[in-house]
Amino acid sequence: MSGKEGYIEVKNVSKRFKVNKRANGIPGMIANMFRPKFEYKHAVNDISFSIKQGEMIGFIGPNGAGKSTTIKMLSGILYPDSGEIVVNGYKPYEDRKEYVGNIGVVFGQKSQLQWDLPVIDSFELLKAIYRIPEDKYKKNLERFTEMLDMSGFINQPVRQLSLGQRMRADIVAALLHSPQIVFFDEPTIGVDVVGKETIRNFIRELNKEDNITMIFTTHDMQDIEKVCDRLIIIDKGSKIYDGKLLGIREKYGTTRQLDVEFVENYDVAPIEKVTIQELDELDGRKKRFIFENREVQIDELMNTLLSGYAIRDINISEPEIESLIRKIYNGEVS
Amino acid sequence: MLKPYLAFAKKNFLNRSAYRFNHFIGIVNTLLRIFIFWCIYDALYGSRTEVDGITMAMVTTNFVLSIGMDAMFSIDDYYLSGRISNGSIANELLLPISFKGRMLFENLGNSMFQLVFHFVPALIVAALTVGFLPPVSLPMFLLFLISTILGYGVLWTISFAMQMFAFWLINVWSMVTIKNVFINVLSGSMIPLWFMPEWLKPVLDVLPFSSIYFTPVQIYLGQLTYGEIAYKCGIQGFWIVVIWLFGNLLWSRGKKKLVVQGG
Repeated sequence: MSGKEGYIEVKNVSKRFKVNKRANGIPGMIANMFRPKFEYKHAVNDISFSIKQGEMIGFIGPNGAGKSTTIKMLSGILYPDSGEIVVNGYKPYEDRKEYVGNIGVVFGQKSQLQWDLPVIDSFELLKAIYRIPEDKYKKNLERFTEMLDMSGFINQPVRQLSLGQRMRADIVAALLHSPQIVFFDEPTIGVDVVGKETIRNFIRELNKEDNITMIFTTHDMQDIEKVCDRLIIIDKGSKIYDGKLLGIREKYGTTRQLDVEFVENYDVAPIEKVTIQELDELDGRKKRFIFENREVQIDELMNTLLSGYAIRDINISEPEIESLIRKIYNGEVS
Repeated sequence: MLKPYLAFAKKNFLNRSAYRFNHFIGIVNTLLRIFIFWCIYDALYGSRTEVDGITMAMVTTNFVLSIGMDAMFSIDDYYLSGRISNGSIANELLLPISFKGRMLFENLGNSMFQLVFHFVPALIVAALTVGFLPPVSLPMFLLFLISTILGYGVLWTISFAMQMFAFWLINVWSMVTIKNVFINVLSGSMIPLWFMPEWLKPVLDVLPFSSIYFTPVQIYLGQLTYGEIAYKCGIQGFWIVVIWLFGNLLWSRGKKKLVVQGG
């Protein structure tokens, strides 16, 4: 996949919100009425990144990290307080009306469909709003309804749809006008396993076939592992990681864990730079050896163990991406 | 160009028919208001045929028309604040159309519905019960229609500009209430402006409020010369432009302040 470099440019963008601080209870309320106290909360703090055309970005971070605020600035809804965003030559917040015709946004938590109307009527309204030519509209509608298996409920009012169906309809709604950039803000939230899989495959396929640039926020690591090439992690408004998904493992996942089942409950002699844990399994015959793969040669460790003790089973594992990201959020690694 | 906006007008027109019972109660409400005013003025007039040269029939015509127009205009003062407080403004700003244009056309769709299914039926019932005067002449009736549209423009821009404060306040209920008091008292829909003290009349004449309902009614009753009509419609146009510009200023400042609530 090749595309323009710097298709989306975010430079030193910050956004803060004014939050009313007030003391508890009625005295606090009265004091607040006469002398309100405010403090500023930095939702996004000096973030910069650059995205190539056709890239598929996973944009993750804990709740309140500033993901949604960033997406809203990228889609022209919010103004940054400082810094600059340029997307395909547009400044989203200044050229909103022209710009938003080129993008699609799916907010998992906010439907853009008309609650009381059948799905197809909402699509017709969007067709008028985006001025989509008839043939293009037909083609897109047919293609997407088939890919997402929507023909069964396209004539039902939105309020009667299940969450998974509604999400699929919302995704199609965001794509009818053939946007070049699509933002997904938690598109799989509350959707069951099968539904998630359908949505992921669809997104993956669309990104590959149409070379659409996509930014994807989620709390589901499966989404990220199955869909995204590149990962941007932010926390407390600042960027803390930007790179390949696999790079996370190289950078943070250097810890290895060796579980050994011995024939008997030995007292294993201490080994340099290796932490030994007793596991409460198999009458203490099972022990865990934790070490850094840069500091300890695995073959030497195995040799030490095999030459000294009788071993029945052995199992080595590297950490899951999910647990690594949890550690990053918790600030346990840096 | 207008197609997307007309789609919104149509959508609102159709949506309105979904709540039929509410609609019938609305007509009853309008008739009730007209009837109550009629009773009050009937008691005030007693056996007199006119007060200060104003007949009971003129007074009745005034409030039948202005209460009817008020019901027809049906402006949603919480259009923006509702969208800010539930966060749906985020989705609406994603559409490649002007938010302000959409706001106007959604209201126009509503007003069209109100005109056909509320104003006209209420007018017929009023004509059969309390009775009101016919327009003095056809040209005056046409000018009345033009002035009514301008009156709608004044009322809409006042609401538009006031709603922009929602960017800062989120809840604009108190402002809406104050605005409505001004409009009810100073526009002549409650107390016809003929009965206002003499010193106040010239002030009210140039304020935007009287141009919403009272100017069209005066034209309808044939109280104004062509020259005066041109002047009064000029005042309507003047206020539409001034308030629109003020509202736009608030809009362009406010949208930078926008906070999307929830999620």
